[in-house]
Amino acid sequence: MEGMFYSTQEFWTWWIAVYLFLGGLGGAAVVVTILTNMYYKPHKQLVLWGSIGAFIMLSIGSLLLFVHLLHHLAVINVLNPMVLIEKPDAWISWGTQFIVWMMVWSMVYTFPYMLESPFWAKMPVVGMILNLFGWAGKLSLKFHSIIGWLAVINGIGTVFYTGLLLQSFPAVALWHNPGVPLLFIVSAFSTAMAFLLLVLDLAIKKREEDRPIRVLYERTDVILITVELVIIFVFFHFTTYGLESARHTAQLLWQDMGWIVGFVGFGLLVPFMIELKGVLKGWSSPAPVVFAAILVLLGGYLLRHYFMYSGVYERPYPPQHLIEAPPAVM
Amino acid sequence: MSQHYAMVIDLNTCVGCNACMAACAIENQTPVWKNRWRTYVHDMVIGKPGGEIRRRFLPRLCNHCDNPPCMSVCPTGATHKLDNGIVLVDDDLCMGCRACAMACPYDARLEVTYEDIEIGKEFYGTLHHRSNPSVDKCSFCAHRVLAGRKPACVETCVGSARLFGDLNDPNDEVAKLVASGVAKPLMAHLGTRPNVYYISDLERST
Repeated sequence: MEGMFYSTQEFWTWWIAVYLFLGGLGGAAVVVTILTNMYYKPHKQLVLWGSIGAFIMLSIGSLLLFVHLLHHLAVINVLNPMVLIEKPDAWISWGTQFIVWMMVWSMVYTFPYMLESPFWAKMPVVGMILNLFGWAGKLSLKFHSIIGWLAVINGIGTVFYTGLLLQSFPAVALWHNPGVPLLFIVSAFSTAMAFLLLVLDLAIKKREEDRPIRVLYERTDVILITVELVIIFVFFHFTTYGLESARHTAQLLWQDMGWIVGFVGFGLLVPFMIELKGVLKGWSSPAPVVFAAILVLLGGYLLRHYFMYSGVYERPYPPQHLIEAPPAVM
Repeated sequence: MSQHYAMVIDLNTCVGCNACMAACAIENQTPVWKNRWRTYVHDMVIGKPGGEIRRRFLPRLCNHCDNPPCMSVCPTGATHKLDNGIVLVDDDLCMGCRACAMACPYDARLEVTYEDIEIGKEFYGTLHHRSNPSVDKCSFCAHRVLAGRKPACVETCVGSARLFGDLNDPNDEVAKLVASGVAKPLMAHLGTRPNVYYISDLERST
């Protein structure tokens, strides 16, 4: 066919960006906190923040997705674990199961710590539930390592899912390539590091005691942001010199100040420089690292937001949503 | 061997009367009140001002791909493929996540919401048959085809621009046109192996 039309879509917009952002962040937070607790430095408070934080994030993200479904009752079809046998080729099937089981296992892993915490024990409804299921906490401790690994595996699955979902759509050059999962996975772990640095600096506030963990997270985040910058450069090259659909994406992304200044500038470069200075020479106050962590989190959302709005379809006709209604139907 | 249904659309004979759109809308109760159709005829202009300009009517619909990306991304199995090649949506299973709409290179999906179901009750009256919201698409009028009839758009086409047939039957007109190479699919490079083929108007006239 002769002329081609290039357009973005309006099916999945900001709410999917929020879902992917919170899913990646929550999944990675569970993985990092539980692995830290099991193999680096036991830290009950960090696990509490990681698991409960992830539970809230995944609940918000899943709720957004649920609210936007067209047929809410049919969601039962994807919540049923048998979906993995019936539809193993659909990433949403895997993602839903990873999210559900990550939430379950991370909360079971965290349960004994909640029992020990006066904050949770005194909370009206939660305290009552904790009292009722105290035996489950003891059982959880007995199999703590296995439960931890179950949460970690499902957390990794959740992070992978948020990266692989967009790759399933073959018509859009920006999405259907191996760089997208890598970018989203790296970004998910980077935002998790940022979130946990905020938790350590603003909530737990045991600066000297937690110094080894903070240093580890800061160094890891610097490496992750570096990798992210490399992947973004590869995407710049891919979109600018690639397929026509990708070139239209390049026109959307690389002429948008929100992407260039907001995401690349303040979401990656500025926190990279702040954290690099912290890693090399240190900061006398936690404020710069807190600022950098907030920027990383904002950048993590902006990345997904721009990806959703910049995927360009190439077709020999204009998209349905841009067609004017015929007069007879008006 | 079972059938392998396909459609050939001859752009030389489509006159842009939109009868196919009307027939499909009534047959399948699509939400036309919000300008969403299972099949749509684009009225396009080809050429540049000052040069030779042509008017083209380009009908579009679900391509019933042999490798449908909408089916592989569907998490509930609502989008499924029959042995005869027709890709269908089971609106009991569809939760309306729109992953299929994102995956479809042909923009063939349309949303049917709770509100559309209610409007449809008034619009289509006692014949209204939709009960669940879904991400809808052309079904090649599978209910008619299984009863030995042609899809509504094919049956109503005044220019015989739409032909429907079986690719597995070498004597079928559609199979012959496809085998001859005159009829070509859209965006075959994506690997979806579509089953809607087009005979170009420009190729015949030059």
